Amino acid sequence: MRKTFGAALLALAAAMPAADALAQAANPRNTLVILREIDADNYDPPRSTARGAGEVIYMMSDTLVALDFDMQTVRPLLAERWEVSPDGKTYTFHLRRDVTFCDGRPMTADDVVYSLNRFIDPATRSPVRWRAGPVKEIRARDPYTVEYELNEPFGELLFQLTLFFASIVDRNSVERLGQNFGVQGFNGTGPYCWSTWTPRQEMVLTRHPNYRWGPAGVYQNPSPQVERVVWRVTPESQTRLAALQTGQGDVTQYIPAIAVQQLQRTPNVRMSQQQNYFWDHFMGFKVDKPVVSDPAVRRAINMAVNRDAMVRATWFGTATPADSYLNPAVTGFDAEAARLVPRFDQDGARRVLDEAGWRVGPDGIRVKDGQRATFLVYGIQTQAAQQYLQSMQADLRRIGLEMRIQMWDATVGWGRLATQEFDAFVMSYPYVTATDAFSLYFNSRNRPTPNRMNWNDPETDRALTEAQTSVDPAVRAAAIARAQRIVAENNVWFPVAREQLWVAASARTEGVRAHGIYGIALYKGLDIRLTR
Amino acid sequence: MSATTETDEPIAPPRPGVLARLIREPAAAVSLALVTLIIAAAVFAPLLAPTDPYDNDLSLAMQPPGSEGLPLGADAQGRDMITRLLFGLRVSLLMGFAAVLLGGGLGALLGFLAAFYHRWLDGPIMRLVDILLSFPAILVGLAIAAIFGPGIFSVVLALSVATVPLMARIVRGSAMVVMRLDYIEAARATGMTDARLIWKHLAPNCLSAIFVFATLRFGQVILLGSALSFLGLGAQPPVPELGAMASEGRNFLFFAPHIAVVPCVLIFIVVLAFNVLGDALRDALDPRLRV
Repeated sequence: MRKTFGAALLALAAAMPAADALAQAANPRNTLVILREIDADNYDPPRSTARGAGEVIYMMSDTLVALDFDMQTVRPLLAERWEVSPDGKTYTFHLRRDVTFCDGRPMTADDVVYSLNRFIDPATRSPVRWRAGPVKEIRARDPYTVEYELNEPFGELLFQLTLFFASIVDRNSVERLGQNFGVQGFNGTGPYCWSTWTPRQEMVLTRHPNYRWGPAGVYQNPSPQVERVVWRVTPESQTRLAALQTGQGDVTQYIPAIAVQQLQRTPNVRMSQQQNYFWDHFMGFKVDKPVVSDPAVRRAINMAVNRDAMVRATWFGTATPADSYLNPAVTGFDAEAARLVPRFDQDGARRVLDEAGWRVGPDGIRVKDGQRATFLVYGIQTQAAQQYLQSMQADLRRIGLEMRIQMWDATVGWGRLATQEFDAFVMSYPYVTATDAFSLYFNSRNRPTPNRMNWNDPETDRALTEAQTSVDPAVRAAAIARAQRIVAENNVWFPVAREQLWVAASARTEGVRAHGIYGIALYKGLDIRLTR
Repeated sequence: MSATTETDEPIAPPRPGVLARLIREPAAAVSLALVTLIIAAAVFAPLLAPTDPYDNDLSLAMQPPGSEGLPLGADAQGRDMITRLLFGLRVSLLMGFAAVLLGGGLGALLGFLAAFYHRWLDGPIMRLVDILLSFPAILVGLAIAAIFGPGIFSVVLALSVATVPLMARIVRGSAMVVMRLDYIEAARATGMTDARLIWKHLAPNCLSAIFVFATLRFGQVILLGSALSFLGLGAQPPVPELGAMASEGRNFLFFAPHIAVVPCVLIFIVVLAFNVLGDALRDALDPRLRV
């Protein structure tokens, strides 16, 4: 016993200096520690759709064009300028000549062509290949000119090319590492370079010494200001908060909603908010399933839920109740469609159901032709979904609708959400434009996922095609407005909330500004400096 | 009373003495009272609860304990914590009871078979038990939830699977001892069928071991069930379950600690009460400890 005790003491003594050193070494002057919730399974741009992958990829590589903080303006990045042919089918990108990869090799048009072709190559199996548009051919005209030719116009192209899936990577590294590119190593042209990755713990990046091609107009500094960046995984929100307040971490966007107000009052924490942030939560109804196939039921659900109270109780003022399908600040938003979304009116909801023939049964749940007004909703287990679904459930019970909730762990949830076994589902998603969001979810070609509502309407499809392919911006705007009105009139969704993006930074961190492209707050992080 | 002379009357644990012996020990008496109280609270929850467990009032969300009309406060949905706890207790106890009954029953059966048909079945059954033992319960729970979907059924199934091997081992052990006693041989000589022999003679003599283990296991199972629910594999909203309530509350730990702490304290009390009671039962039932 004494021996064991002695050994334990010895081990403790041995561990102490190490732990001590670790605590002190955690944040040297030139190392920025970014705290985040989860890791990604790989960091290969076209092969991951996770925000956790994108936030690091944006720092390790560049896209042809960049998106400004207003979420509307496309700025030059690797391409210093570009032209669009009159028929809208060919984009010519003129590349910067001073760009190098992390290994020092200069980047040329061949690398761009290779990376983009790899993105759209079916063999790469990119789940978001469609974002590259209807590509006919991508070719290099000379070492610094790339021609991007489409089969039909695609008004979204420049916006889509700002997303990290279209990042330019080094062909040699991809071919050398194969499936392990983005797992064992990475070589991009970004402001920071891959150093080491310990999955589920931390990813260490070092400054790219040659980098001076940061997007002008988006950032003040064309070069990174910090020597090392550590992306540290801290899954528990309370631990992240504690780490931030004690200086063990410098920046995080993964702040529990309830803590935002408190952090705003904390003297050694700086908060930054992005107003133009497009990450929405919604409930979608499978329009071909019993009960929710009845437009009256979907309308009643939209009227019955006290969205304001629900959103306040879930996000504590850090999300905006979504009284429309899209954020009013997004390109292509239609105010008329927003007015078609029913307002909160519980008595009205009861009347809608009464008129549609749904009578209140003995247990308080309505019945019509022997069919009980009950439906099953699936969701991925998150704190927010858990919270707002229970509020919805209670509100719907008040008008005689039974909503059954089944939450899934993220590991199996996405598979379940691809089936037809549920009647409604909840989800949250980032988008860049109205056309981007609506083409994804409401095009009949996208059934069964991501069009999990099974919404199949030729008129919507026509409007979406026009919104994507028309050369005339006015026609495009009218078309996407039409699609929004059709969907809103039919109550295919119940819009829940629009998240706000907040970033918290420690006192020694300056220049942190929330961006929010694809939900990613730091984007390229060029202006971030450490003062001590 | 000697075990070898009585062939037809099984040696059941002496009933009148057990309770008396049990409450002689103060800890045991307290735990027995607590367990009774807990079970009564769960059974009569609909009568005792001040409000509807599912009806929310968002204006009361996260009210701290001691607020007007809310002695233990309200949860994030503005539901009375007392009501949620009473109904949560119900679900937790029911899950534990179902799992112990199902897993324990199957485990006991396997144990009896292994001991009785020692030559043929002992090897296969015990290897099966070893295999089952090698899976961590949480992992089994995750796998089952992945197949059947999270829910109370999945948790009960996972807990049952985790209980089977333990019960099988314990029952086999005590049944092996009983099998060597003369009266089994004697009963066999009277031409009793195997099933009747197991039911009338083997089982009753292992009952105290089963009973003690079931009580002890009940506490562990509730804890394990709460852990699974905490991970989101168990009760689905809005059904209250103690582990799920704790899980829901952990996000507000800095701001409204009572939402997580109160269910945790209740889990602690329940598990402790059942464990102490189990220990006391073992002492009271074990003939070797009889003074």
